[in-house]
Amino acid sequence: MVRLVRAELRKLFGLPTAWVGLVLGTLAAPLIVLLNAPYTRRAIAAGTVTDTSDLGLRELGLGLIGPMILGVIMVSSEYTSTGPDSPGARQLTTTLTAVPDRRRLLTAKTTALVLVVAAQAAVTATAALSLAEVLHGDHTSMPAAARVAGAILYWTLTALLAYAITLITRNGIVPLTFLIINSAVVSVSYLLTKVTDLAAYLPDIVGARMFLRTADFPVEISPLTAGLVMTAWVAALLAVGGVLFHRRDV
Amino acid sequence: MITIDRVSKTKSRTQILYDVSFEARPGRVTGFLGPNGAGKTSTLRILLGLDRPQSGTALICGRPYRKLDRPLTTVGALLDGSGAHRARKARAHLRWVAASNGLPDSRVDEVLEIVGLTGAARKRAGRFSLGMSRRLGLATALLGDPEVLVLDEPVNGLDPAGIRWIREFLKDSAAQGRTVLLSSHLMGELAEIADDVIVIDKGRVVIQGRLAEVTGGHRTLEDAFLALTAADSGGSW
Repeated sequence: MVRLVRAELRKLFGLPTAWVGLVLGTLAAPLIVLLNAPYTRRAIAAGTVTDTSDLGLRELGLGLIGPMILGVIMVSSEYTSTGPDSPGARQLTTTLTAVPDRRRLLTAKTTALVLVVAAQAAVTATAALSLAEVLHGDHTSMPAAARVAGAILYWTLTALLAYAITLITRNGIVPLTFLIINSAVVSVSYLLTKVTDLAAYLPDIVGARMFLRTADFPVEISPLTAGLVMTAWVAALLAVGGVLFHRRDV
Repeated sequence: MITIDRVSKTKSRTQILYDVSFEARPGRVTGFLGPNGAGKTSTLRILLGLDRPQSGTALICGRPYRKLDRPLTTVGALLDGSGAHRARKARAHLRWVAASNGLPDSRVDEVLEIVGLTGAARKRAGRFSLGMSRRLGLATALLGDPEVLVLDEPVNGLDPAGIRWIREFLKDSAAQGRTVLLSSHLMGELAEIADDVIVIDKGRVVIQGRLAEVTGGHRTLEDAFLALTAADSGGSW
């Protein structure tokens, strides 16, 4: 299994798009903390921001584009046409002739993705929180380790969500567009929470409850419940994607 | 040794293979001949565990492909295209494939050398010409120094020098005791290198045997082939 995970890591790092996901995802949150610093300082001074417990953690939401890209391309790169000379040919053929046991292959892929995204999340969370500490140290204190762990878990589960959806769609463009718009432009999930409280249990909304305290939120959900609900979403989608991947002809 | 036993396959409600059975033996080049759409690629994909048959079995050295651990050390396969993601550099492609089967990185440089792509190792696969893509695909197939080679239309896109090279390469491989199965719709090409020939048409094997047996009373393999498949095809090529 170690050899399969190693191969999947090499495969991922050999793609230029993966590096876009890695760099964007890692730098976005610390950069936002830095750019927002003057505004944040003024807001604290003016008293419009009283609860600073989410400083450095809230910004992690913008970095989510990183794990989303990584999760999607982990699968979609297998289905991309290898070129105009042979439009039907895809890397997946090579992958499955090299590793024909599909269950082991998916386990290796999932493990590789979790390793990369968890490491990325740990780096970016540390960077964003340290910056917030340096810039606004008088008004904020390092959050508890459990909250940071919650944020890392949220990133990892988001990547797995994107990965599972792409396993089902076998194409990266639709899920990536939807996920990025939903997280960065107009949050459909958030709008739905205005319609029904049930939307609070959508994976992206509920997941943020694992580590954020001050977000506008319709129902009270504990961090532990939030983690379990998001994990259940991811597990269900992964199960569907896994079964389809196992059954389909290439 | 490759054993295909009564393989049938239906795709989108159309039956594309009917009880296909044949063997490819070690030390021989076996040609799998048929017009486009006859079922050659479908048969090879089932052999490689990529697609599932409705019935029948396809075995390599007595085992289904999906049961092989580190399959590249037993079977080298070349299907359509290079098999590499187009944004990936040739060497990076070969390196992950090597890692997946526990093969050393040094082998990557060896196969690049064998297929003559050493100079293009750092080029992205998407920028390769058709001939270079085929060479990269072949390099991938050779990584594990396999005893069985399965090649789908290997000469497609190769220039005359490349065709001559692959012909010699396959002959040498068989002479060393390897099992070589290659499909083609080019009869002239197969007549040059095949020891045994299987002719497939509309999903059914119409004849198989030694090259001389299949050619039979006909002047060339081409004549034999046309006689065998012309009954109602009306010249689909």
